[in-house]
Amino acid sequence: MKFFENVFTYDYSFPAVSLAYFLRYPNPYSRHVLTTDVIDRYVDPETKRLHTIRLHLKKSKVPSGILKLLPKGIGGSDSSGQSYILETTTVDVNEGWMKTESRNMEWTGILSVVEKQFYQRQPLDGALDKPQGLSLDGKMSEQTTVKTTVTFHSRFGQGKLLGRRTADTTGDQVGEIEDEAPRRGFFTSLSTAGIQRTIELIGLNRTRDAIAKSKQGMNIVLERLRGGGIVGVLEGMRQDREAIVGGDGPWKRVWLRGNADDDEH
Amino acid sequence: MAASIAPECNDIKEKYDTCFLKWYSEKYLRGNTTSNDCEELFTKYKTCLNVVLKEKGIDSMLEDARKSTTKEIDAETLRRG
Repeated sequence: MKFFENVFTYDYSFPAVSLAYFLRYPNPYSRHVLTTDVIDRYVDPETKRLHTIRLHLKKSKVPSGILKLLPKGIGGSDSSGQSYILETTTVDVNEGWMKTESRNMEWTGILSVVEKQFYQRQPLDGALDKPQGLSLDGKMSEQTTVKTTVTFHSRFGQGKLLGRRTADTTGDQVGEIEDEAPRRGFFTSLSTAGIQRTIELIGLNRTRDAIAKSKQGMNIVLERLRGGGIVGVLEGMRQDREAIVGGDGPWKRVWLRGNADDDEH
Repeated sequence: MAASIAPECNDIKEKYDTCFLKWYSEKYLRGNTTSNDCEELFTKYKTCLNVVLKEKGIDSMLEDARKSTTKEIDAETLRRG
Protein backbone atom coordinates (compact mmCIF):
# COMPACT_ATOMS: atom_id res chain seq x y z
CA MET A 1 0.00 0.00 0.00
CA LYS A 2 1.20 3.49 -0.80
CA PHE A 3 -0.11 6.89 0.15
CA PHE A 4 0.08 10.33 -1.33
CA GLU A 5 -0.82 13.33 0.78
CA ASN A 6 -1.10 16.98 -0.02
CA VAL A 7 -2.57 20.04 1.65
CA PHE A 8 -3.51 23.03 -0.45
CA THR A 9 -5.26 26.34 0.20
CA TYR A 10 -7.63 28.05 -2.20
CA ASP A 11 -8.03 31.83 -1.85
CA TYR A 12 -11.77 31.44 -2.25
CA SER A 13 -14.66 31.03 0.14
CA PHE A 14 -15.95 27.58 1.00
CA PRO A 15 -19.26 28.09 -0.87
CA ALA A 16 -17.35 29.08 -4.02
CA VAL A 17 -14.97 26.09 -3.78
CA SER A 18 -17.74 23.58 -3.17
CA LEU A 19 -19.76 24.98 -6.05
CA ALA A 20 -16.68 24.83 -8.29
CA TYR A 21 -16.21 21.20 -7.30
CA PHE A 22 -19.63 20.26 -8.70
CA LEU A 23 -19.02 22.49 -11.73
CA ARG A 24 -15.45 21.50 -12.45
CA TYR A 25 -16.01 19.42 -15.59
CA PRO A 26 -15.41 20.27 -18.31
CA ASN A 27 -12.43 22.59 -17.89
CA PRO A 28 -9.34 23.05 -20.05
CA TYR A 29 -7.41 20.58 -17.87
CA SER A 30 -10.05 17.88 -17.89
CA ARG A 31 -9.99 16.76 -21.50
CA HIS A 32 -9.69 13.17 -20.30
CA VAL A 33 -13.08 13.36 -18.57
CA LEU A 34 -15.61 12.23 -21.14
CA THR A 35 -18.89 12.18 -19.22
CA THR A 36 -20.28 12.95 -15.77
CA ASP A 37 -23.60 11.72 -14.40
CA VAL A 38 -25.39 12.15 -11.10
CA ILE A 39 -26.38 8.73 -9.81
CA ASP A 40 -27.89 9.82 -6.52
CA ARG A 41 -28.34 13.04 -4.59
CA TYR A 42 -30.25 13.89 -1.43
CA VAL A 43 -30.19 16.07 1.66
CA ASP A 44 -30.12 14.03 4.86
CA PRO A 45 -33.15 15.27 6.82
CA GLU A 46 -31.33 14.78 10.14
CA THR A 47 -27.92 16.28 9.45
CA LYS A 48 -28.93 18.61 6.57
CA ARG A 49 -25.87 17.32 4.73
CA LEU A 50 -25.99 17.08 0.96
CA HIS A 51 -24.95 13.66 -0.33
CA THR A 52 -24.06 13.19 -4.00
CA ILE A 53 -22.90 10.16 -5.96
CA ARG A 54 -21.56 10.79 -9.44
CA LEU A 55 -20.18 8.54 -12.14
CA HIS A 56 -17.39 9.86 -14.33
CA LEU A 57 -16.14 8.21 -17.48
CA LYS A 58 -12.49 9.02 -18.07
CA LYS A 59 -10.06 8.25 -20.84
CA SER A 60 -7.27 6.16 -19.44
CA LYS A 61 -4.90 3.45 -20.36
CA VAL A 62 -3.31 0.82 -18.21
CA PRO A 63 0.26 2.18 -18.07
CA SER A 64 2.64 0.13 -20.18
CA GLY A 65 4.84 -0.37 -17.13
CA ILE A 66 2.02 -2.21 -15.44
CA LEU A 67 1.08 -4.17 -18.55
CA LYS A 68 4.60 -5.59 -18.70
CA LEU A 69 4.22 -7.04 -15.23
CA LEU A 70 0.98 -8.82 -15.90
CA PRO A 71 0.60 -12.29 -17.39
CA LYS A 72 -0.42 -12.19 -21.03
CA GLY A 73 -4.14 -11.78 -21.40
CA ILE A 74 -4.67 -9.75 -18.25
CA GLY A 75 -5.01 -6.09 -18.94
CA GLY A 76 -4.44 -7.04 -22.58
CA SER A 77 -4.47 -4.90 -25.63
CA ASP A 78 -8.25 -4.69 -25.57
CA SER A 79 -8.77 -1.62 -23.62
CA SER A 80 -11.55 0.57 -24.62
CA GLY A 81 -9.15 3.08 -23.09
CA GLN A 82 -11.90 4.24 -20.77
CA SER A 83 -12.57 3.74 -17.12
CA TYR A 84 -15.37 4.45 -14.69
CA ILE A 85 -14.78 6.49 -11.55
CA LEU A 86 -17.29 6.60 -8.71
CA GLU A 87 -17.30 9.86 -6.75
CA THR A 88 -19.15 10.35 -3.48
CA THR A 89 -19.45 13.79 -1.91
CA THR A 90 -20.85 15.01 1.40
CA VAL A 91 -21.31 18.73 2.07
CA ASP A 92 -22.06 20.18 5.48
CA VAL A 93 -22.84 23.82 4.86
CA ASN A 94 -23.35 24.72 8.51
CA GLU A 95 -20.03 23.34 9.63
CA GLY A 96 -18.33 24.50 6.43
CA TRP A 97 -16.77 21.29 5.12
CA MET A 98 -17.00 18.92 2.20
CA LYS A 99 -15.74 15.36 2.01
CA THR A 100 -15.14 13.64 -1.30
CA GLU A 101 -14.04 10.18 -2.29
CA SER A 102 -13.23 8.94 -5.79
CA ARG A 103 -12.33 5.38 -6.70
CA ASN A 104 -11.78 3.34 -9.82
CA MET A 105 -14.46 0.73 -10.48
CA GLU A 106 -12.52 -1.64 -12.71
CA TRP A 107 -9.09 -3.26 -12.41
CA THR A 108 -9.39 -2.96 -8.64
CA GLY A 109 -7.63 -6.31 -8.18
CA ILE A 110 -4.59 -4.99 -10.00
CA LEU A 111 -4.62 -1.50 -8.55
CA SER A 112 -7.25 0.20 -6.48
CA VAL A 113 -6.83 3.97 -6.27
CA VAL A 114 -8.94 5.81 -3.72
CA GLU A 115 -8.68 9.58 -3.54
CA LYS A 116 -10.16 11.30 -0.51
CA GLN A 117 -10.40 15.03 -0.08
CA PHE A 118 -11.45 17.10 2.87
CA TYR A 119 -12.32 20.72 2.13
CA GLN A 120 -12.69 23.05 5.06
CA ARG A 121 -13.65 26.68 5.50
CA GLN A 122 -10.83 28.78 6.97
CA PRO A 123 -11.94 32.28 7.98
CA LEU A 124 -9.00 34.69 7.89
CA ASP A 125 -7.73 35.99 11.21
CA GLY A 126 -9.77 38.82 12.56
CA ALA A 127 -12.68 38.20 10.25
CA LEU A 128 -15.95 38.28 12.08
CA ASP A 129 -18.59 35.68 11.41
CA LYS A 130 -20.11 36.58 8.11
CA PRO A 131 -23.51 35.67 6.84
CA GLN A 132 -23.39 32.54 4.73
CA GLY A 133 -23.45 32.90 1.01
CA LEU A 134 -21.28 33.06 -2.03
CA SER A 135 -18.34 35.38 -1.79
CA LEU A 136 -17.81 35.81 -5.47
CA ASP A 137 -17.09 39.51 -5.40
CA GLY A 138 -13.34 39.19 -5.33
CA LYS A 139 -12.79 40.01 -1.69
CA MET A 140 -10.43 37.54 -0.16
CA SER A 141 -12.41 37.29 3.02
CA GLU A 142 -12.13 33.58 3.33
CA GLN A 143 -9.90 30.71 2.39
CA THR A 144 -10.60 27.04 1.95
CA THR A 145 -8.06 24.34 2.64
CA VAL A 146 -8.18 20.94 1.04
CA LYS A 147 -6.36 17.89 2.25
CA THR A 148 -5.97 15.20 -0.37
CA THR A 149 -5.06 11.62 0.47
CA VAL A 150 -4.67 9.03 -2.24
CA THR A 151 -4.29 5.37 -1.34
CA PHE A 152 -2.83 2.88 -3.80
CA HIS A 153 -3.41 -0.75 -3.14
CA SER A 154 -2.50 -3.60 -5.41
CA ARG A 155 -4.06 -6.92 -4.47
CA PHE A 156 -2.28 -8.54 -7.35
CA GLY A 157 -1.63 -12.18 -6.45
CA GLN A 158 -3.15 -12.07 -2.97
CA GLY A 159 -6.34 -11.27 -1.20
CA LYS A 160 -5.16 -9.88 2.06
CA LEU A 161 -6.07 -6.36 3.14
CA LEU A 162 -3.81 -4.13 5.17
CA GLY A 163 -5.57 -1.68 7.39
CA ARG A 164 -2.84 0.73 8.38
CA ARG A 165 -3.61 4.41 8.11
CA THR A 166 -1.31 7.30 7.59
CA ALA A 167 -0.46 10.02 10.09
CA ASP A 168 -1.69 13.56 9.66
CA THR A 169 0.45 16.14 7.95
CA THR A 170 0.02 19.86 8.00
CA GLY A 171 1.06 22.64 5.67
CA ASP A 172 1.72 22.38 1.96
CA GLN A 173 3.74 19.25 1.90
CA VAL A 174 3.65 15.85 0.41
CA GLY A 175 4.06 12.75 2.49
CA GLU A 176 4.50 9.20 1.36
CA ILE A 177 4.31 6.42 3.81
CA GLU A 178 5.03 2.93 2.73
CA ASP A 179 3.32 0.15 4.53
CA GLU A 180 5.20 -2.87 5.79
CA ALA A 181 5.23 -5.80 3.44
CA PRO A 182 2.76 -8.47 4.42
CA ARG A 183 4.17 -11.28 6.53
CA ARG A 184 4.31 -14.36 4.42
CA GLY A 185 6.74 -16.89 2.99
CA PHE A 186 9.93 -15.24 1.83
CA PHE A 187 10.07 -16.72 -1.65
CA THR A 188 6.51 -16.06 -2.60
CA SER A 189 6.44 -12.62 -1.02
CA LEU A 190 9.50 -11.59 -2.94
CA SER A 191 7.84 -11.75 -6.32
CA THR A 192 4.28 -10.90 -5.44
CA ALA A 193 5.07 -8.03 -3.09
CA GLY A 194 7.63 -6.74 -5.58
CA ILE A 195 5.12 -6.64 -8.39
CA GLN A 196 2.52 -5.02 -6.16
CA ARG A 197 4.95 -2.35 -5.02
CA THR A 198 5.93 -1.58 -8.60
CA ILE A 199 2.29 -1.30 -9.68
CA GLU A 200 1.55 1.00 -6.75
CA LEU A 201 4.57 3.18 -7.56
CA ILE A 202 3.50 3.61 -11.16
CA GLY A 203 0.06 4.68 -9.93
CA LEU A 204 1.63 7.09 -7.46
CA ASN A 205 3.76 8.76 -10.12
CA ARG A 206 0.78 9.28 -12.38
CA THR A 207 -1.20 10.78 -9.52
CA ARG A 208 1.23 13.64 -8.89
CA ASP A 209 0.49 14.95 -12.37
CA ALA A 210 -3.21 14.33 -12.11
CA ILE A 211 -3.53 16.22 -8.82
CA ALA A 212 -1.64 19.22 -10.17
CA LYS A 213 -3.91 19.31 -13.22
CA SER A 214 -7.07 19.00 -11.17
CA LYS A 215 -6.00 22.00 -9.05
CA GLN A 216 -5.35 24.03 -12.20
CA GLY A 217 -8.80 23.05 -13.45
CA MET A 218 -10.45 24.05 -10.17
CA ASN A 219 -8.65 27.39 -10.21
CA ILE A 220 -9.90 28.18 -13.71
CA VAL A 221 -13.46 27.35 -12.70
CA LEU A 222 -13.05 29.48 -9.54
CA GLU A 223 -11.71 32.44 -11.55
CA ARG A 224 -14.67 32.20 -13.92
CA LEU A 225 -17.03 31.99 -10.96
CA ARG A 226 -15.51 35.11 -9.42
CA GLY A 227 -15.59 36.94 -12.73
CA GLY A 228 -19.06 36.07 -13.93
CA GLY A 229 -20.84 33.76 -11.51
CA ILE A 230 -22.31 30.46 -12.71
CA VAL A 231 -23.12 32.08 -16.05
CA GLY A 232 -19.42 32.93 -16.39
CA VAL A 233 -18.45 29.29 -15.80
CA LEU A 234 -21.00 28.00 -18.31
CA GLU A 235 -19.83 30.55 -20.87
CA GLY A 236 -16.25 29.41 -20.29
CA MET A 237 -17.28 25.80 -20.89
CA ARG A 238 -19.01 26.79 -24.11
CA GLN A 239 -15.90 28.57 -25.33
CA ASP A 240 -13.69 25.62 -24.39
CA ARG A 241 -15.97 23.31 -26.34
CA GLU A 242 -15.92 25.58 -29.38
CA ALA A 243 -12.17 25.71 -29.17
CA ILE A 244 -12.05 21.93 -29.44
CA VAL A 245 -14.72 21.55 -32.08
CA GLY A 246 -13.31 24.46 -34.05
CA GLY A 247 -10.03 22.62 -34.13
CA ASP A 248 -7.77 25.64 -33.94
CA GLY A 249 -8.58 27.19 -30.60
CA PRO A 250 -5.91 27.71 -28.00
CA TRP A 251 -6.99 24.71 -25.94
CA LYS A 252 -6.77 22.44 -28.91
CA ARG A 253 -3.19 23.59 -29.43
CA VAL A 254 -2.44 23.10 -25.77
CA TRP A 255 -3.97 19.66 -25.88
CA LEU A 256 -1.99 18.66 -28.97
CA ARG A 257 1.21 19.72 -27.28
CA GLY A 258 0.52 17.27 -24.52
CA ASN A 259 -1.90 19.13 -22.31
CA ALA A 260 0.91 20.23 -20.05
CA ASP A 261 1.33 23.85 -20.96
CA ASP A 262 -0.62 26.68 -19.42
CA ASP A 263 1.25 29.65 -20.87
CA GLU A 264 -1.64 30.85 -22.90
CA HIS A 265 -4.08 31.28 -20.07
CA MET B 1 -22.06 21.44 -18.69
CA ALA B 2 -20.56 17.98 -18.58
CA ALA B 3 -22.07 15.50 -21.02
CA SER B 4 -24.02 12.44 -19.92
CA ILE B 5 -22.80 8.93 -20.65
CA ALA B 6 -26.16 8.57 -22.37
CA PRO B 7 -26.37 11.12 -25.21
CA GLU B 8 -30.16 10.81 -25.26
CA CYS B 9 -30.23 12.09 -21.65
CA ASN B 10 -28.16 15.21 -22.32
CA ASP B 11 -31.13 17.55 -22.60
CA ILE B 12 -32.83 16.51 -19.40
CA LYS B 13 -29.47 16.32 -17.63
CA GLU B 14 -28.68 19.90 -18.60
CA LYS B 15 -32.04 21.06 -17.27
CA TYR B 16 -31.46 19.17 -14.04
CA ASP B 17 -27.86 20.43 -13.68
CA THR B 18 -28.98 24.02 -14.21
CA CYS B 19 -31.71 23.61 -11.62
CA PHE B 20 -29.31 22.02 -9.14
CA LEU B 21 -26.67 24.74 -9.51
CA LYS B 22 -29.28 27.43 -8.92
CA TRP B 23 -30.71 25.64 -5.90
CA TYR B 24 -27.27 24.83 -4.49
CA SER B 25 -25.87 28.35 -4.80
CA GLU B 26 -29.00 30.32 -3.97
CA LYS B 27 -30.62 28.11 -1.38
CA TYR B 28 -28.54 25.30 0.07
CA LEU B 29 -25.34 27.32 0.48
CA ARG B 30 -27.35 30.09 2.11
CA GLY B 31 -28.72 27.76 4.72
CA ASN B 32 -32.06 26.85 3.14
CA THR B 33 -31.38 23.12 3.25
CA THR B 34 -34.91 21.76 3.26
CA SER B 35 -36.28 22.70 -0.17
CA ASN B 36 -35.93 20.27 -3.06
CA ASP B 37 -36.73 22.32 -6.12
CA CYS B 38 -35.17 19.91 -8.60
CA GLU B 39 -36.72 16.63 -7.51
CA GLU B 40 -38.99 16.32 -10.52
CA LEU B 41 -36.23 17.00 -13.05
CA PHE B 42 -33.92 14.61 -11.22
CA THR B 43 -36.51 11.82 -11.38
CA LYS B 44 -36.87 12.32 -15.15
CA TYR B 45 -33.12 12.41 -15.64
CA LYS B 46 -32.62 9.27 -13.54
CA THR B 47 -35.32 7.41 -15.46
CA CYS B 48 -33.55 8.21 -18.70
CA LEU B 49 -30.11 7.38 -17.32
CA ASN B 50 -31.04 4.11 -15.63
CA VAL B 51 -32.08 2.53 -18.92
CA VAL B 52 -28.63 3.13 -20.35
CA LEU B 53 -26.78 2.10 -17.20
CA LYS B 54 -28.63 -1.20 -17.32
CA GLU B 55 -27.94 -1.69 -21.03
CA LYS B 56 -24.24 -1.15 -20.50
CA GLY B 57 -24.16 -3.34 -17.39
CA ILE B 58 -22.92 -0.42 -15.33
CA ASP B 59 -25.75 -0.75 -12.82
CA SER B 60 -24.35 -3.94 -11.27
CA MET B 61 -20.84 -2.51 -11.25
CA LEU B 62 -22.18 0.56 -9.43
CA GLU B 63 -23.92 -1.64 -6.92
CA ASP B 64 -20.65 -3.45 -6.09
CA ALA B 65 -18.64 -0.24 -5.89
CA ARG B 66 -21.18 1.38 -3.60
CA LYS B 67 -21.16 -1.65 -1.34
CA SER B 68 -17.39 -1.50 -0.97
CA THR B 69 -17.56 2.23 -0.24
CA THR B 70 -20.11 1.63 2.49
CA LYS B 71 -18.06 -1.22 3.92
CA GLU B 72 -15.02 1.00 4.20
CA ILE B 73 -16.95 3.83 5.83
CA ASP B 74 -18.36 1.35 8.34
CA ALA B 75 -14.88 0.02 9.11
CA GLU B 76 -13.62 3.56 9.64
CA THR B 77 -16.49 4.41 11.94
CA LEU B 78 -15.82 1.27 13.97
CA ARG B 79 -12.14 2.08 14.28
CA ARG B 80 -12.90 5.58 15.48
CA GLY B 81 -15.59 4.38 17.83
